[in-house]
Amino acid sequence: MGTIIWTTIGAVLTLSVYSFLYKDNPFYKFAEHLVVGISAGYYLVIYYFNFIQPNVVAPVFLLRFGDEVIGFGSSTWWLALIPGLLGLLLYTRFFPKVGWIGRWSLGIYVGGYAGLSLSPTMQARVLNQISANALPLTSVTNVFLIVGLLGTLTYFFFSMKHKGVLGVMARVGIVFLMVGFGASFGYTVMSRVSLLIGRVGFLLQDWLHLL
Amino acid sequence: MNIFERFMQIDRRWIFLAIGIAVVIPFFFPLELPVSVTDPVQNLYDALDRVPANGQPLLLAIDYAPATLPELEPMSLALLRHAFSNDVNVAVLTLHPAGYGLAERVMVQAADEMGKVYGEDYCFLGFRPGLSAVILGMGVNVRNVFPEDAYGTPLNDIPMLDGIRNYDDIPLLITLAGWSAAEAWVLYAHQPYGQDVGAGVTAVMATDLYPFLDTGQLVGLLGGMRGAAEYEELIGHPDAGVRGMDSQSSIHVLIIILIILGNIAYFGDRRKKREMERDAA
Amino acid sequence: MVRVFHILLVSSALIMLTAGSVQAQETALPGDTASDVLDTVPPGPPCSLTVRDYLENSDFGDKIEIEWGLSPDDGSGAGDVTGYVLRRSLAEGEVGEKLDEITNGTTRYIDESVEPGTEYYYSLEAYDGANSSEPVLAGPVAGRANMFQWSRLPVLVLMVVFFAMVAWFTAAAGKGAKLFVRRIPGLNAIEEAVGRATEMGRPVLYVPGIGEIDNIMTIASLNILSHVAKITARYDTPLIVPTARAVVMSAAEEVVKQAYAEVGNPDAYNPDNIRYLSDAQFAFAGAVNGIMLREKPAANLYMGAFWAESLLLAETGFEAGAIQVAGTAMVSQLPFFVTACDFTLMGEELYAASAYLSREPKLLGGLKGSDWMKVVSIALIAAGIIARAVGLESFVAWFQTQ
Repeated sequence: MGTIIWTTIGAVLTLSVYSFLYKDNPFYKFAEHLVVGISAGYYLVIYYFNFIQPNVVAPVFLLRFGDEVIGFGSSTWWLALIPGLLGLLLYTRFFPKVGWIGRWSLGIYVGGYAGLSLSPTMQARVLNQISANALPLTSVTNVFLIVGLLGTLTYFFFSMKHKGVLGVMARVGIVFLMVGFGASFGYTVMSRVSLLIGRVGFLLQDWLHLL
Repeated sequence: MNIFERFMQIDRRWIFLAIGIAVVIPFFFPLELPVSVTDPVQNLYDALDRVPANGQPLLLAIDYAPATLPELEPMSLALLRHAFSNDVNVAVLTLHPAGYGLAERVMVQAADEMGKVYGEDYCFLGFRPGLSAVILGMGVNVRNVFPEDAYGTPLNDIPMLDGIRNYDDIPLLITLAGWSAAEAWVLYAHQPYGQDVGAGVTAVMATDLYPFLDTGQLVGLLGGMRGAAEYEELIGHPDAGVRGMDSQSSIHVLIIILIILGNIAYFGDRRKKREMERDAA
Repeated sequence: MVRVFHILLVSSALIMLTAGSVQAQETALPGDTASDVLDTVPPGPPCSLTVRDYLENSDFGDKIEIEWGLSPDDGSGAGDVTGYVLRRSLAEGEVGEKLDEITNGTTRYIDESVEPGTEYYYSLEAYDGANSSEPVLAGPVAGRANMFQWSRLPVLVLMVVFFAMVAWFTAAAGKGAKLFVRRIPGLNAIEEAVGRATEMGRPVLYVPGIGEIDNIMTIASLNILSHVAKITARYDTPLIVPTARAVVMSAAEEVVKQAYAEVGNPDAYNPDNIRYLSDAQFAFAGAVNGIMLREKPAANLYMGAFWAESLLLAETGFEAGAIQVAGTAMVSQLPFFVTACDFTLMGEELYAASAYLSREPKLLGGLKGSDWMKVVSIALIAAGIIARAVGLESFVAWFQTQ
C-alpha cells in the first residue's frame, strides 16, 4: 500500500513537470518549488550525518574518530578542529564589521584546491596526452588525428593574428571543432532521450503496471 | 509565409507529442533490435571479471543524482549483479549528496536478489563532500576520510574491509557519474596512486572521457543507456537498459528526419528570400 | 635382565620419539610429514638482517625493505632450508606476529602493509620443514614518504617551464609592455548585451555556472563578472547573479561589491541580487528559468562550468527574447550554447576573455604563458612523432607518468 502511495506521488510530480511542455502552469511551479525546498533540506541532513557528525563533531566533542578514541589536543583532534573553525569563519559575513575574516577561509580553500589539482591535471591532461598523440604517421586515422589536433591548438592560439598559414590552420581547427560538437550533440540527444525513456518506463511499469 | 517558413515556425508542442509517441510505442510493441557490444564496455566487463572472489573489494562510486538515474541506474544494477554473481565483495560510496539514497537503493536491491550479507559481501561508506580532497585522502587511508560507514559502524568492525587501507588494496574502482566526478577519479586516484579506474557516464559526458581510454587512464567506459544495455547483454540479464533501446532507436530515427527537414526548410527559406530580394532589386 | 633392558630401551626410545615429535610439532611449519619428524637439527639462522625505509620508486612511506644473508644451510651446509619466516612487532625484543613465509634462496622482501611513520621491529628465522633456527632481530624502522617522486620528473620540468613563462609574461605586463592578444570574435557582445539591457531598463542576468569554486572556469567567470559588474554599476542596471554553490555565492558577492565600490557607486549594490538557489542541478536550472520568465532580464550571460542545464537555460532565455552570450570550456555543452546563444566563447576563449577584458597583468601573463605552452606541446608532439619514427620509444614513454 505504501509503495502505491509513493509511486503515485512520484507519478503526479513527473506529470506536473512534463506539463511545462504545454505551457507554464501552477502544477509545474509547485513541483519546481518542491524540488528546490526538499533538496535544500535533504542536503542539510545528508551533509550533517555523513560529514559534519563523523568527521567534525565526533572527533572534536566526543573524542572519537571511527572506533578510535582520540586524545584531547592530539593531532587528529586538531586536524578536525582547525578546518571546522575555518568553515565557521565563513559565517562571519553575517556581521559586516568582521566579515573580512571569512576571506581567510576562502583563500585557503581556493588556494588548496588549485594546488591539489595542478600536478594531476598536468599529468592527465597534458603529459599523458602528449605521449598518446605522438603517433606514427602511418595510417590515415593517425594523420587525421594529428591534423585535427594541430588545427584546434592553433585556433586557440591568441598571441598572433590568424593570417596566412595560421589562418588556414585555425580554419581547419574550427571545422574539426564543429564536427566534434556535432558528435557531442548526438550523444546528448541520446542522453536526454534516455531520461524521457526512464520516466515513461516508470509511469507505464512502476505506476500503471501496463507492461 | 511560404511553406518553409511555416515549417520553421511549427508549434514545438507537435514535436513534443511526436517524440512522446515514439517513446511509448516500442514499450508495447518491442522491436528487440540486437545490441552489439563495443570495446570499451567489453574491457570494463573483463576488468571486473579479473577481480578476485571474496577478496579485496571492488570500489563502486555511485556519484549520480536522480536527474541522470535512467542512464546510470541500469549500469550500477548490472555492475552489482556481475560483481555479486562472481562473489566479488563490493564497497559502495558516493561523492554526490543526492546519490546517497540512490546508491543505497540499488545496492540493497542487487544484494537482496543475490542473497548477499551486509558487512561480509558488501558495505556502504556513505557520502563525503569535497570531491578531490576525498579521493586524494582515500589514497593515504580510507579510514581518514570514512572513519565509519553510512550507518555509524566503525570501518574496523566491518569484516570485508579487514586489511583494506588504501588504493593498494582495491583492485578496481568504478565510478558512475553524470558530472565531473568521473574525471576527478582519473585525476586524483589513477594519476597519483595508479588506481585502475573504470567509468560509467551519461552519453553527454562520454566524449569528454574518450581521451582517457586511449591512454589507458580508464580501463573501460560505459556511455549512456546504450552502454548499460551492452553490459546487460554481457551478463545475460537484460533489464531497463535493453528495454529502453527500442525507444531510443525509434526516437533517433524521428530526430534524424526532423533535422533533415529542418535543414531543407532553412536553406529553402533562405533561397526563397534571396530570390525575392533579387526580384525586388 | 636382558628383557628388562630391552623393555627400558624400547620404552625410552618411544618416550624420546614421542617427545621429539611433540617438539617437532611445536616448531614445525607447513610440510610437516612423518619423515621430517626425525630431523631434530635446526638450521643455522640467517647470517644478517637489515631493515630500512623503502626508497625506490618513491613510495608514500607505506613500504619497508628487508634484506638478509642466507642461512649457512640454505643451498650449502646441510642444504635443507626450505624457507624463512618473517615476523613483525611493535615492541623491541618481542617475536611478533607472522607476516609472511618466504621461499629459500631469497634475500629480499618488501613489506607493503606498513603504517607510515610507525616504528616496527622485524625478526627472521630459517626453517627446514621441521625445525626453525634462532630468530635474528632487527629494528626499529619506520616508513617515511619520499620527498621526491622521480617518476614524475617530467611533471616538474614542464611545470617549471610553464610557470617561468607565466611569471615572465606577468612581469612584462606589469611593467607596461604591450602584450598582443588577438581580438576574439564576439567579445564585445558582452558589453553590447549589457548596453542593451540598460537601454531597455531591464536587468542583466549573470550565471556563473554550477561548478565549485575550485573549478578554473568558475574563477575565470568571476573575473568576467567583475568586469560586467563595473559596467552595470556605472549605468545603474540591476545585475542578478544566481549561484548553485554556497562558496561561489560568497565569492560572487565579494566580486560584485568590490566592483561597485571601485566604480564609485557602492550604494547601487544590492546584496539580494546575488542569490543562492540550490545545489541540485535541475532545481537550480528550474529556478533560473523562473527568474528569466518573471524578472525578464534583457541580457543573459552564461559564463563558467555548465552541465546538462546549459540547454535548459539557453533555450528558455532564447524563448524569452534576451540577448545571450555564453562562455564555457565544457566541450560537451558548447554545441547547445553555439546553437541557442548570440555569441559563444568556446573553451579557452573564456579565459582569454577574462584576461582581455580586465587587462590584468596576472591574467594576461597566464594567457600568454598557456599560449606558448601550446607551442611547447606541439613541439613535443612533433618530436615524439619523429622519435617514434626513428625507434626512440623511450622518449615518448618518458612523458607517460604513472
